[in-house]
Amino acid sequence: MEGREWLEELKKMLSGRKKDFIDPQWPDWYRDYATKCMSNRRDDDLPIQQATIVVIDAETTGLDLKNDTLISLGGLKILGTTIFVNGHFEGYLPTPEKQEDKGAVAIHGILPHSSRYTYELEEELLVRLLAFLGTDAIIVGHHIGFDVEMINQALARQGGGPLKNRVIDTGKIAERLQPAGYWTPKDKFTLDSLASRYRIPLSDRHTALGDAYITAVLWLKLTARLREKMSRPLVLGDFV
Amino acid sequence: MPNQVTRRIYDFLKEVPPFTYVDDKEALMRVAGKAEVVYLPIGTVVFSPDERPPERFYVVKEGAIELLNVVGEAEQLVERCGEGDVFGIRPLLAEDNYRLLARAAEESLLYAINTKGFRELLGDYPGLTQYLATSMASANRSAATPPKVPVVTAPLVLGMSELQAVHRNREPVICPGTFRIVAAAKLMTEHNVGSIVVTDRSQHPVGIITDRDLRQKIATGIKSNQELVGAIMGKPVVCIGENVTAADAQIEMMKRGINHLVQTEDGTDQSPVTGVISKHDLLVLQGNNPAVLIREIGRAKSALYLRDLRGRGEQLLASYLEKEVSIAFITSVMKELNDEVIRKCIKLGLARMQADGRGNPPALFDWLALGSQGRGEQLLRTDQDNALIFEDVPEARYNTVKDYFLQLANYVTEYLQVVGFDYCPADMMASNPKWCLPVSKWKEQFSHWMAETTAENVLNTSIFFDFRGVWGDGSLPDKLTAHIFSELTGPSRRFLGSLAQAAIDNPSPLTFFRNFMVERSGEHKDQFDLKSRAMRPLTDAARVLMLEARQGGVNNTFRRFEALAKLEPQNASLYQDAAEAYEVLIRLRATIGLRRNDSGRFLKPEELGKIQRLLLRNSFTPVKDIQTLLGMRFQLNFLR
Repeated sequence: MEGREWLEELKKMLSGRKKDFIDPQWPDWYRDYATKCMSNRRDDDLPIQQATIVVIDAETTGLDLKNDTLISLGGLKILGTTIFVNGHFEGYLPTPEKQEDKGAVAIHGILPHSSRYTYELEEELLVRLLAFLGTDAIIVGHHIGFDVEMINQALARQGGGPLKNRVIDTGKIAERLQPAGYWTPKDKFTLDSLASRYRIPLSDRHTALGDAYITAVLWLKLTARLREKMSRPLVLGDFV
Repeated sequence: MPNQVTRRIYDFLKEVPPFTYVDDKEALMRVAGKAEVVYLPIGTVVFSPDERPPERFYVVKEGAIELLNVVGEAEQLVERCGEGDVFGIRPLLAEDNYRLLARAAEESLLYAINTKGFRELLGDYPGLTQYLATSMASANRSAATPPKVPVVTAPLVLGMSELQAVHRNREPVICPGTFRIVAAAKLMTEHNVGSIVVTDRSQHPVGIITDRDLRQKIATGIKSNQELVGAIMGKPVVCIGENVTAADAQIEMMKRGINHLVQTEDGTDQSPVTGVISKHDLLVLQGNNPAVLIREIGRAKSALYLRDLRGRGEQLLASYLEKEVSIAFITSVMKELNDEVIRKCIKLGLARMQADGRGNPPALFDWLALGSQGRGEQLLRTDQDNALIFEDVPEARYNTVKDYFLQLANYVTEYLQVVGFDYCPADMMASNPKWCLPVSKWKEQFSHWMAETTAENVLNTSIFFDFRGVWGDGSLPDKLTAHIFSELTGPSRRFLGSLAQAAIDNPSPLTFFRNFMVERSGEHKDQFDLKSRAMRPLTDAARVLMLEARQGGVNNTFRRFEALAKLEPQNASLYQDAAEAYEVLIRLRATIGLRRNDSGRFLKPEELGKIQRLLLRNSFTPVKDIQTLLGMRFQLNFLR
């Protein structure tokens, strides 16, 4: 391969991979999702009130992106200022055997193989998740980068590519509203401390759906304050 | 496993009315599952007048919503809904547009409840509908016919309570003829009843099984409990109509020598079963019988026994309150009970005067009940307020006569104290020489009160002007009334004005939860003074308006408002509202007082149930409206 051709190919891979690249190796369900996402425009002017917001939260076996896995996912839809409890997303995965003795059980309280939950296969969960998200929903979550990365790892294990929805982190909004100084303790922007600052009851903490609900209320309270601060309706472009 | 968010909403809903009435967990969980969570920054409008309601109503999860009446540019606060309050229920009950403006007074979270799923529940839970109707009445005060809380109106036939209607107090327990005896017995046990009616396919009664049948025919082994119910049931069934009096039922049972009557729609066994009356039901009715009590009071020979009987009166009161019998009926019964107690105490006093060798009363006299007993509104044993009036006697005899009545009054007030009516701390009692007077001196006294409108005189007016003769000759109170009205023909505007002023001196709180107007200091700090903040303004207003209309003879506050509604048709709805509000307040005070065993005057906001708070809050609007009316009519803004 000539050097120039190789460079073109590489350029195409890098620029196109995000939007236009369709890998024939992908499973149908992911290829379908990726294809639909190709028609999405990056609409910075869309008022946030009109956007479909999906708040998600993932519970995992731990914090190691390489070795830990998802054990449950919860999601709630928001339109405008209304949280729709009816159309919620909830799913559980069995804990992989090598992870069973880890300390995370103490945090999320999900016992491996507990009969309280209906487990499904990782692939099934992901298929349902992508269907729930749709292609134009905005994913919102608290320190959502980690959750998205865990989901992406799972998607990769199932032969697919990463999530393509736009992502907004409530932690970042909180920091914008009240920037951290050198005196600010680092844990000031955890979900717990923000919930207590914005008077959101911490019930069902560390269940995926419970955390998603707390985050959803946090999102509504934070955006109302940001809107007030900016004295105008918020648009998607405000959250780059 | 239901998801945690639905579960959380369910946990919240099950604690707040009207959802408390839905005791089926599954059903309420379904309601919770369809809820939406709505976030409102401060100042957000939830809905506006004339807007078409969505299929939603709202429960405040946190924050506060203000409901406002919008007239042109002006906004008038109707209600402030705090945590756990329900609002916007119009789409649930009526097919029209919103009337009020709802706006977030604080940053708020609401649960929006889907009316579709909820409406289906209304049929199954009567308490639900009742609560919603009550709460709608608050937003509806100006509407022509506010929905009323249905109350059981026992017919008022005093002294003849055998004529009291027998209320069907439970659904009849029935079973088809195909049931085995064991199954019927289980059903009876489950419903905790002593009888079961066997019915045919159209629910017409064909037989009845009672505890006695089970005891005599099953327990003794005569029949097996595996047989069909027909083997032991009594037949034919003796039927009786739905609107029967206790006397009817009793006679029928005696005539036939049976203990159970089956109530059917038309009183024959050719129509569906509607209820069962047992001998036991009748006994309970007798025990709770005001006529029996009043007779017993008349026969009492000591004040201590009277105390006992008056205590039973309180149990009667409690059962009436619990059954939500109408306040008009309750106050009439309690007034008769109290009056009979007073009469008995006077008779005991007279007997004691005889025993002391002082003989019969030296002149005609009447015993006057004052204050709440004068108005016939005293439900609980609060302080006694009374006075004595005797005919004018020659100067020479005056001292002897007065001395006799003072001694009599001493005895009577002492007996009343034993019965449980405490001495009046302000000494407004017939035993006080100031309040034991001949007709002419009473006339002077009233003229003085009406001429000099000092604060003390106005206070006296509010107690003495509600006088009512309870026992005695009976002619003297009328002379006093005639005198008062003749005095009113003069320049009485200032007197009435000062009475009206007193009625508006205690502004009533419009809002309740957050701006609850509690006492700032003293023994009752942080409590709500039900008497002076809500009841006093209404009794004062009713009195002054009746005086202005020259109407005597009606003392009861809500009867006064009803009379006023007839006199002034243009204000009829306002007076009706005031009458209803007053009934609510009396009921509330008696309920709280009974529970705490005190006068019920001071309330702690937190000890009220949701419905009670709602009813109390609703009653503030008429209080305020009446005060406004007084202010305009007597031009009080100029006096201030």
